[in-house]
Amino acid sequence: MSRRVFVTGLGAVSSIGLGRRAFWESLAAGRSGASPVEGFDTGTIGRSIACEVKGFRARDWMTAAEARRMGRCSQFAVAAARMAVEDAGIPARLLATERTAVIIGTTMGEADVISELESAWIHRGEEAVKSRTINRYGTTLLPIHVARAFGAHGMTQTLPAACAAGNYAIGFAADQIRAGRADVAITGASEIIEKLQFAGFARLGAIAPERCQPFDLNRKGLLVGEGAGMMVIESEDHARARGARILAEIGGYGLACDAHHITRPHPEGEGSVQAMRRAIEASGLRAEDVDFVNAHGTGTDANDKVEALVMHKVFGDRARSVPISSMKSMIGHCMGAASALEAVSCVESIATGILPPTLGYETPDPDCALDLVVGAARTAKVDVVLNNALAFGGYDAVLLLAREGVLPDTVGRR
Amino acid sequence: MELAITGLGVVAPFAVGAAAHREALADPSLAAARAFDGPVTALPAAELPQARIAEVRGFDAARYLGDKGLRNFDRLTKFLIVAAKQALEDAGLKRDGAWIARRPEEVGIISATAYGSLDAITELNLVAEREDPRYINPARFPNTVVNAAAGYVSIWEDLRAPNVTIVDGNCGALDAVLTAETHLAHERADVFLVGGGEVVSEPLYRALRKLELVSEGDGPWAPGESHGHGMRVGEGAAYVVVERPADARARGARIRGRLLGYGTAFTAPESEALIVHPSVDGVARAIRAAVRDAGLGAGDIDAVVCAASGLERFDAAELVGIGRALHPDVLCAAPKAYCGETFGAAGAFGLATALAWLDGAPVEPVLCGRPRARLEHVVVTTVGFYGNVSAVVLGRASTAERHP
Repeated sequence: MSRRVFVTGLGAVSSIGLGRRAFWESLAAGRSGASPVEGFDTGTIGRSIACEVKGFRARDWMTAAEARRMGRCSQFAVAAARMAVEDAGIPARLLATERTAVIIGTTMGEADVISELESAWIHRGEEAVKSRTINRYGTTLLPIHVARAFGAHGMTQTLPAACAAGNYAIGFAADQIRAGRADVAITGASEIIEKLQFAGFARLGAIAPERCQPFDLNRKGLLVGEGAGMMVIESEDHARARGARILAEIGGYGLACDAHHITRPHPEGEGSVQAMRRAIEASGLRAEDVDFVNAHGTGTDANDKVEALVMHKVFGDRARSVPISSMKSMIGHCMGAASALEAVSCVESIATGILPPTLGYETPDPDCALDLVVGAARTAKVDVVLNNALAFGGYDAVLLLAREGVLPDTVGRR
Repeated sequence: MELAITGLGVVAPFAVGAAAHREALADPSLAAARAFDGPVTALPAAELPQARIAEVRGFDAARYLGDKGLRNFDRLTKFLIVAAKQALEDAGLKRDGAWIARRPEEVGIISATAYGSLDAITELNLVAEREDPRYINPARFPNTVVNAAAGYVSIWEDLRAPNVTIVDGNCGALDAVLTAETHLAHERADVFLVGGGEVVSEPLYRALRKLELVSEGDGPWAPGESHGHGMRVGEGAAYVVVERPADARARGARIRGRLLGYGTAFTAPESEALIVHPSVDGVARAIRAAVRDAGLGAGDIDAVVCAASGLERFDAAELVGIGRALHPDVLCAAPKAYCGETFGAAGAFGLATALAWLDGAPVEPVLCGRPRARLEHVVVTTVGFYGNVSAVVLGRASTAERHP
């Protein structure tokens, strides 16, 4: 039995477009999703710009009954999953089995639901809290709703791995297919912008006033974003048997923990280096095989400096010539959904040979001497891509994606 | 699947520490009394006088960890760190905080919770709603992120292999077993702490009360019985230390038990309007898959650590599902009678209970089935509120493995 796992469908809900095509066209064109926050009053928070998903109508993607029983985060997840399933062209009967796993990442899950519940309780007492709203709360519910949408009745799991959640979910889902515990998985991550989270990042001094400028000398922080990125991934046997179109192959992934500080990266990037090296090794490749790195690239001083250092440790002299870009300059930091949306973009880069640009880069930072894709998208040979996620809690997760036929037979053995 | 359990750490309402936990389970009635009797301090008792919870009363993290560096940790984080520290020492991996076997890069953690950050979210929401968001304490903000507590464990204990937090409602800590097996198989680590934690919090309790899911007052309460009358909420944390059997033997570790199989299932409700529902089918499928994964037959299972919590519909569905998957006289007991419903931690407490049973602790309170003289294989079940169910099969370690 083949141990290969293929990506066969993509879905995206983002501030720069709904659906695979709209999302990718905006990324390739270098469009920013930053705009004034409309979801809540930012008056006293001191920051007011974010990459919000505007114009999302749940009913475009689900029934009224489905929309009623979900918070916005689950709605994003289900919508992106439906896009991915449609893109994969996979028959419903192949998903409605116990061999379909649904593994989804997030950071805060249904944060709007808990906010609504607590606001009612704090201001108007327990009597004002609605039972039907309580039933919509729970990070557990993200994969439950998605599985239910497709009649899947196998493994469901939420991996709340902060900003690395997308890579955690996709990697673990691929593991389960390789282990023979599932044939197909709907996987990715979802996140929403919520007032408490936004205020918390503002209080930490992490949010930029207007724009996100990854790796720029004068970078001022991140912009909070939201959305969902989903994939359909399948075992080679399953994909071949149904004649699926192969978009990319999932390679290895590397996980490590900094064990250093809850919000700051390790100053030497030790965990990040381990995660990148393991992703490459587990794919049966070498560092020189990597064509492009999708940076974690938050636009914060600490992250970008350490990530640049990590690039030099992993790639040595080649660090200045491996193209790298941060799409957080366009879609903001979508927290749990970040690496999932970025994985979607990585697959598109493999499919098109287009590397999306990093916006806002004006002044080089000597501490970040890298081959950054700036100004406009670049065209290149893109067979192998690393997707970096260097997250809160010291969670480092790096996923390797490759063009079909590039990875050796040893992929996924480790 | 075959993994060796070489350590145990427990912060339970009736005992803290592996030895104290095993000793307490020698007399489950006494454990239940310790867990539920006594003043309620985790909730505003004056406003909720009928609340009956299994609380870790008088828990003082400084007693185990020293008093430095704890200021911004929430209660869950303290539970997790204490349980993790105990488990690593019980496994002979650390002594007095220093590694004596293995390196930090080889040891990771898989930690489950269902509502882990809710307490911290409420703490900050109270400030944001009553005063202003600009006054929330940035030092406490990280606690609102679900994986913060496990992240702090890695920092405190210097665990640099993968750190994974799992949320799967009541099933997360058993799902952590599969996650550990997966990462060990791929050589991403050599040792994992596997388990989870949960705390009793006011918003969670009030929400469950609003949904009429909790048993209040001093009336009869018995998980798995027809007069269940709802759950009693509990709290705590537990971790087992999990390794490849060959690795455990090579370092001369004592093996407390074996993890042999894992199964999971999800069954959606038939009604479009429902979210919360029990599933007989899910219970049966998850158990069958776990037994099959263990390479065993239904007749090989001697006892089941049931998930029964006092929610009558769920408890009844679970027992029917167990009956379908296993044999009619399999011994089923409901240990939530002495630790309450601990949600994401429930599977971790189930693993700890199964180890105690395999070590000779009485299987109580019995819901059905016939006792066997000696237990060789025990199934632990966890039943989620949404039709999600997970199950794990544990096997007894040999005398030589238990006393190397």
